[in-house]
Amino acid sequence: MNKALRFGLAVLAVCLSASARAETIKFGAILPLTGPGGLIGTQQKLGIEFALDKINAKGGVRGNKIEITFEDNQGKPDQSVLSFNKLVDLQHLPMIFTSFSGPSLAMAPLATRKKVLMINAGAQADALAKASPFLINTLPTIGDEIAILSKWLAKNGKKKAAILFENSAAGISGRDNYVSTFTAAGGTIVAQEPSQFGQTDFRPALLKLADSKPDVMLVSITAAAQQMAQQFAQMGVGFQVAGTTFLQDPALINDPAAEGFLHTQLQSQVPPELAAEFKAKYNAEAEFFVRQYYTAANILFTALDKVLAEGKPVTGETLRDAILKIKKFDGLVPVTFNSNTATVPFDLKVIRNKTDMLLEDLK
Amino acid sequence: MLALQLLVNGLVTGCALGVVSVSFGLIYATTKLFHVAHAGVYTLAGYLAWSAVRHDVPDVLALLLAMVASAAIGAGIQHFLYAELERRRATHLVVLIASLGTLAVMQNVIAAVYTPNILQFPLPWGSRMASFAGVRLTYTQMLTVVVSLAAFGFTLWFAHKTILGKQIRAVASNPFLAEITRLRPQRVYVAVVAIGSAIVALPGVLVPLDLGLQPYGGVTPLLTATIAMIAGGIGSIAGSFVLAVGIAVLQNLSLLVIPGEWSIGVTFFIFVIFMLFRPTGLFTRR
Repeated sequence: MNKALRFGLAVLAVCLSASARAETIKFGAILPLTGPGGLIGTQQKLGIEFALDKINAKGGVRGNKIEITFEDNQGKPDQSVLSFNKLVDLQHLPMIFTSFSGPSLAMAPLATRKKVLMINAGAQADALAKASPFLINTLPTIGDEIAILSKWLAKNGKKKAAILFENSAAGISGRDNYVSTFTAAGGTIVAQEPSQFGQTDFRPALLKLADSKPDVMLVSITAAAQQMAQQFAQMGVGFQVAGTTFLQDPALINDPAAEGFLHTQLQSQVPPELAAEFKAKYNAEAEFFVRQYYTAANILFTALDKVLAEGKPVTGETLRDAILKIKKFDGLVPVTFNSNTATVPFDLKVIRNKTDMLLEDLK
Repeated sequence: MLALQLLVNGLVTGCALGVVSVSFGLIYATTKLFHVAHAGVYTLAGYLAWSAVRHDVPDVLALLLAMVASAAIGAGIQHFLYAELERRRATHLVVLIASLGTLAVMQNVIAAVYTPNILQFPLPWGSRMASFAGVRLTYTQMLTVVVSLAAFGFTLWFAHKTILGKQIRAVASNPFLAEITRLRPQRVYVAVVAIGSAIVALPGVLVPLDLGLQPYGGVTPLLTATIAMIAGGIGSIAGSFVLAVGIAVLQNLSLLVIPGEWSIGVTFFIFVIFMLFRPTGLFTRR
């Protein structure tokens, strides 16, 4: 009888332990799924979902299925705070994917206070680097790219620059970096004009910038780059246009108006078979933000695996510590965390004949 | 040269805004309803024309189709939503909220059907350039000015010379008296919203032809157009149009003396001061 009881208890224990292992671990994502940033947010969501489906198809992380709740912040900081409180206070989620500088900066103090990990793979304002010890940025802030770009331009005879910047956290951060790094490289800023996020009429700003007769126009806008390029081409002026990863927009690259545009580009390669798998599943290309958030999701899954392997509870703190301890992640992009903001290699590219070409290839 | 180009660009933008303002003013002056969903009709018109062009419908026919569809949608909103709410004795605030809700639904449906991406009309002629005395304009910009002025002239003629126009003005002036004289205000309201919606389809198609289509792109033009309508004098077609052109020109020319981030603020500050001195608007209603 005792033997039978012991056997029954053992079976029960195994079942309980198995059911504990088969727990679903839930995370969140607060992204701009509608509004002017809806296209970018949708790409980010697809990147996360693609990684999520792949990991769950393999049985999850150490037998635990992963679930991600998506919230639409419309790219607005106030809406982001509401969504953050909902996911953290009501659903007790330990980690949230974020995007866009303004919303991420608005949620950062809450993340610090509530010890919730935020992973940003799309926003690049400088302030994000020090916004919260619980904010992990899987891409460098805009300053690193702009410093290299400014030095290259000054070295190649572009001494007078005009700046077109978006009146947003990311755009203003870019503008400030252009001013400091281009000046430090020996250049002069002759004019600067803002645009609003989602605005497609750049003509007044472009006219005023062109009137200052610059050698180069430095661009820090996150949307409507194609419309900006078309209106720039219509003006018939001949100066150089240069920008950052934000100019890696397929619509822009495919437009003849962008011929000769120069930009920095975070390295991000997608293997052909993975690109084909994504295309078959979503009938869309694995664009930059898809790749960024696919990589970010895999960074999270790797960190979660470490946390579970060490028998620690899944919290914002343990996940953050795991990411910083693992330090190097080899996904679509080699990402290294020497701090909470990753370093990622990037290239200098130029748009020629509707193709984004490495500048070295041109030499 | 910069000043001249900015002036011309302001005139182009202002003409398009003027038509939005005139159409919104026509509806507001008659129905007394703040038809915010007009921004949705403006946006939808562009997308409908884009779809038609993508299906090889000739450009002019696509524009006409967008106007007819917009008129039907506007009439539908008035008949099935606003009139129904009025029958249930809803306040104007409730109708405003219903209109805002309609706008949100329209924007999100457009984003769901067409994606939130900025879409371009596949019409290369639209971005061809012409130069006059050093001022460069696209064909679309020139067409916008011509069509907008024609729409403005048509609206003036329609309101003052046609039977329906006179009926609309009568209802706008005194709906109770109009009802006694068998004018049936509810039918006039449907007609005026349909006509206003057809008119707003013109800038709704021509502006995106130049600058691209966005699901959420209608609110800013409507806001500026509303200010122009109020500053121009509610009920004054000419006032709405002239003030819209004035605002756009001022916004563009202000760049000569102030940085762009102050342009909108300074422009509207001037209008706030102006309204203090002329609270009924520049043009008094006849």
